Amino acid sequence: MNPEVHVPGWEWYYVAMYFFIGGVSAGAYFIGSLAELFGGERHREISRTGFYIAFPLILLTPPLLIADLGRPERFWHLLFHAKSGFPYLNFQSPLSVGSWALLLFGAMAFLSFIDNLVAEGRLQSVPFARAYSRMPRKWYAVVGSLAGFFVAGYTGVILNVTARPFWAATDPLIGALFIASGASTGAAAIYLVMAWRKKIAAAGLPGLDRFDRLAKVLELVLAVAVVLLAGRWAAPLLRGSSAVMFWGGAVLLGTLVPLAAGWYLPRAAEGAALPERWATVLAVLVLVGGALLRISLVHAGQVQ
Amino acid sequence: MPKGMFVDTSICTGCKACQVACKEWNGLPHEPGHFRFDPVEKRPVAVNFTGDSYDNTGDLSAADWRHVRFIEQFSEDRARSRARWLFSSDSCKHCNDAGCLNACPTGAIVRTDLGNVTVQQDVCIGCKYCIPSCPYGVISLSEASGTVRKCTLCNDRIHNGLGTACAKACPTGSISFGEVAGLKAAADRRLAQLKGLGHADANLYGYKEAGGLNVFYLFLDRPQVYGQPETVVVPQKRLPVSSAVTVVGALALGAAAMVSFRERGSREEDEEVKK
Repeated sequence: MNPEVHVPGWEWYYVAMYFFIGGVSAGAYFIGSLAELFGGERHREISRTGFYIAFPLILLTPPLLIADLGRPERFWHLLFHAKSGFPYLNFQSPLSVGSWALLLFGAMAFLSFIDNLVAEGRLQSVPFARAYSRMPRKWYAVVGSLAGFFVAGYTGVILNVTARPFWAATDPLIGALFIASGASTGAAAIYLVMAWRKKIAAAGLPGLDRFDRLAKVLELVLAVAVVLLAGRWAAPLLRGSSAVMFWGGAVLLGTLVPLAAGWYLPRAAEGAALPERWATVLAVLVLVGGALLRISLVHAGQVQ
Repeated sequence: MPKGMFVDTSICTGCKACQVACKEWNGLPHEPGHFRFDPVEKRPVAVNFTGDSYDNTGDLSAADWRHVRFIEQFSEDRARSRARWLFSSDSCKHCNDAGCLNACPTGAIVRTDLGNVTVQQDVCIGCKYCIPSCPYGVISLSEASGTVRKCTLCNDRIHNGLGTACAKACPTGSISFGEVAGLKAAADRRLAQLKGLGHADANLYGYKEAGGLNVFYLFLDRPQVYGQPETVVVPQKRLPVSSAVTVVGALALGAAAMVSFRERGSREEDEEVKK
């Protein structure tokens, strides 16, 4: 490990925010598709909400990515080779593969979004609706959730596959950690939107709750493992602003508090969902924790 | 045939003619100053200027493609017999397995037929992913152009039969330019000579690192003393395992979704919902 390796100077408000918003979008989408594929009718509202969230959020991300470029007007070079004009893909570069995955995910999220609108009768244009009713929606949910897992995870691989000591020392765990965080923040976003649309479907909630808890346990284990794996390079996560964001935000607000609340908060009945007000507060905490997780890890690798 | 440079630090005098020649030939600007208000001085002070009389750049950057290091080795009592002052002129090593080139998502970083690695300035988008991917801390973003810049091994000169500007300017022959195979033969001879003179710690750096460096060094002390990492892992070597573990994470969540959303008896309940 060479501490003289240069820092890229990725800004937290562009790159870490992209990692976060992309993770929420991808998480909401793969939860939506998995609920649809495995869960059937009673989880329909959850999968619909996931598809409603994924597309608008992923639309927010390209401007963030482009704004961080040194030459924003050349962003299209990521997809097409500037000299030949042919599509360009570099399999050794997660950033190159990720650009295509983001495009594919965006396309699938768009199809699922439209599909939702047609299914709920909000898109009345007849030829449109007829065309979409013939679309193999399960297939693009499968392709989209694979792309979604990729979008949630490759951002961690981007950090790990560098020579910066902290990021290199935590290889290969950040990709999996970001996927787990994408799942828990995606579930939180689904809950918030369902509450906002007043469509808390009690039938599907226990399933979402169970999945969410498993994702948070995985996230917690991976977050601790990241610090242990970093060893002597973990210093940025032990003192300073990154440490506060990581332990206070990502670990405490993002995983420990919601998990503990799930155990201890009173419920209406055995196995019933948490009261809506508490669940809403916890969902907001999880989203804040997820953002702080990305910010702290992007920052920790760039401390000189 | 790959071209490269052999930097024999044992005969470097730290004159920095290479730094000047590099700046002049490549038309490189001065390092842009970053000023911050100093409460003691009560005026803005540049925080990224070293203020050292010897090492004036401190690091390689988009504007400084050569950097001469000054390493002082004095014993505690400052006895002159045990004093040594080491110099080393550093630059891009033009690795055969180049982390920056592997990481580039646009194909802006290319290797030419002479083995040197250059950034096509009209293609680079300034995504900055190559910067942490260089295990040596060479490539850097230029604030002026918004693209990354680094040593090109004087791409324009070497494709027209000239050597690099730094090698041309070096007054002691510490930097020599030529075909890598020939340079290595000369380096081996020089190492044997130095070992014979009693420099037991002398070593050649760059034969194995990062697939072999086209710009390689003879050091009188351990590479780490000269700021060069002793074990170099090109980041992309870790990509397969990193990806595989991420896929395992995804599979674990997929399994979690399966057990969470499909509980026992849910099929029958679904049927009831449909009715």
